[in-house]
Amino acid sequence: MLELKWIDVYYGNIQALWDVSLSVKEGEVIVIVGSNGAGKSTILRTISGMNKIKKGSIEFGGQRIDLLRADEIVRLGVSMVPEGRELFPRLSVRENLELGAAYIDRAYSRRTETLQWIYSLFPILHERGSQLAGTLSGGEQQMVAIGRALMSRPRLLMFDEPSLGLAPLMVDEVFKTVTKVSQEGVTILLVEQNVRQSLKMAHRAYVLENGRMVTKQSIDVDPEKCILCGECVEICPVSAIDMTVNGQPENPGRDLGRRVSRKSQ
Amino acid sequence: MVDWASLLQSLANGILIAGLYAAVTLGLTLVLGVMGIVNFAHGELIMLGAYSSFWLFTLLGIDPLLSLALSGVLLFFIGTGIYRFTIWPIMKDPPLNQLLLTLGLSIFFQNLAMILWKTDSRTIITSYSGMSLDLGIIHFGLTRMITFLISVVLTVLLVVFLSKTKPGRAMQAVSENNTASWLIGINVEKTYLLAFGVAAALAGAAGALVSTVMYTFPMVGFKLSLKAFCILVIGGLGNIPGTLFGSLILGITESFVGTYIPEGSGWAEGISFVLLIVILIIKPTGLAGTRRE
Ligand SMILES: Nc1ncnc2c1ncn2[C@@H]1O[C@H](COP(=O)(O)OP(=O)(O)OP(=O)(O)O)[C@@H](O)[C@H]1O
Ligand SMILES: [Mg+2]
Repeated sequence: MLELKWIDVYYGNIQALWDVSLSVKEGEVIVIVGSNGAGKSTILRTISGMNKIKKGSIEFGGQRIDLLRADEIVRLGVSMVPEGRELFPRLSVRENLELGAAYIDRAYSRRTETLQWIYSLFPILHERGSQLAGTLSGGEQQMVAIGRALMSRPRLLMFDEPSLGLAPLMVDEVFKTVTKVSQEGVTILLVEQNVRQSLKMAHRAYVLENGRMVTKQSIDVDPEKCILCGECVEICPVSAIDMTVNGQPENPGRDLGRRVSRKSQ
Repeated sequence: MVDWASLLQSLANGILIAGLYAAVTLGLTLVLGVMGIVNFAHGELIMLGAYSSFWLFTLLGIDPLLSLALSGVLLFFIGTGIYRFTIWPIMKDPPLNQLLLTLGLSIFFQNLAMILWKTDSRTIITSYSGMSLDLGIIHFGLTRMITFLISVVLTVLLVVFLSKTKPGRAMQAVSENNTASWLIGINVEKTYLLAFGVAAALAGAAGALVSTVMYTFPMVGFKLSLKAFCILVIGGLGNIPGTLFGSLILGITESFVGTYIPEGSGWAEGISFVLLIVILIIKPTGLAGTRRE
């Protein structure tokens, strides 16, 4: 469904991504983990059209999207819950949600139904409908950001560190929502530093470091065995993560584990 | 003993001129609010509107109150052209570059006007220019009354456009958060283009009004810009209610200074500087409320 091939991205003269490839299939939950500054947000911003690629290609649903504008990409069904929520602070919760559907025809015609669904996911948003978004708590703002993205009826929904700055209970809540959204048939691409919890619900994961993918392919995540929590890896003699590449067991040893652990604290 | 008639008259004059000032400032507010740019060339767009109204009247005999719509349309296209060819290419650059660019545009248009139309002050004398309206103890010039009413209509149209139409709501969304606007499917660049065009159209219409109650000359836009900046500072940057409030304060202050201070009419022209400086010193967020972040 989504295919990034060998992309390079620059901010001015500074290169942020090198030869990044990744693929997401319909219905999957894919996680990208990586430390601060690894380039996770850059990947998501590039897919959504906010950054442009210098090299490579991005396809969505078989169509090249790397030359499209951000608003055109949203209309194709790719939405993002961005880093830092990016709400309209002086508009009400309800107006924020409604704006999510207002500029996308196929979502606009279903807006009432979608709004009901979002209220069932987050009943608190219904109660707070007329409150200004800027005055909500961090967790509530995250719900609005997720709700607004859902209002656009995405086929692929990208989350940029949705658990950032939230209390543990709220983090659970957000991850549960991600799972629910996935069960509704929405494909998920999630960027997280909360490795342990995000890998639990992922089908596959990618590890990004300094703007490059650590492994060429994604790693398969076995939810039972994954304990890549960043605490044990340093002392664990074998790799703490059970991973296979293309069905073949790869042996990144503790090297990969350590790389991830160092950044995930 | 207070002379109530003269006080009321002065207040009324202030309110009437405030209407025109609001029309002059709204486009500046719109561009600042939506694009985050202080458009120093806004006054020159008004000047072009005033000249187009003057020439349409002088050459074709079209009444300025009718040619107002034509000036608006003409300036809409000039505005979108200016945006597309000068501002758009540097929209991602630091704000200082955009500021300097609009300053350059302002100087360019002033000089262009001097070359094309000389520095003469032009006036429009219509059949109703000298008429006035008597309401008991106070009376108004008919032209001033009409410019006030048209200014009110322009303001209402702008507010309705921004709150009720899809492109208008897009402008509000962009002014709140342009990253978020892209993410909900708004073409932010097109919204900038439209906002700049609408602001220029407002300047064109305001220019036509200006041509009926003031002299039209190449520096008229510069003079009005200073008043508009004063209004922005009074009202808090980039919001419409603040602009209306600022216009009232400036209009009434000028009028009172003109009435009550000896040799006041000369001082009245300069009062906008005094207000500007005083407010920047005592309350830089604007008298009306908060400054736009
Ligand atoms: N607007 C920008 N201009 C210049 N460099 C940038 C810009 N945005 C990001 N970068 C650089 O690109 C690199 C990747 O940044 P990015 O925001 O994608 O990291 P990240 O993995 O999302 O980090 P975090 O976990 O802290 O959010 C960093 O080195 C950052 O400094
Ligand atoms: Mg990030």
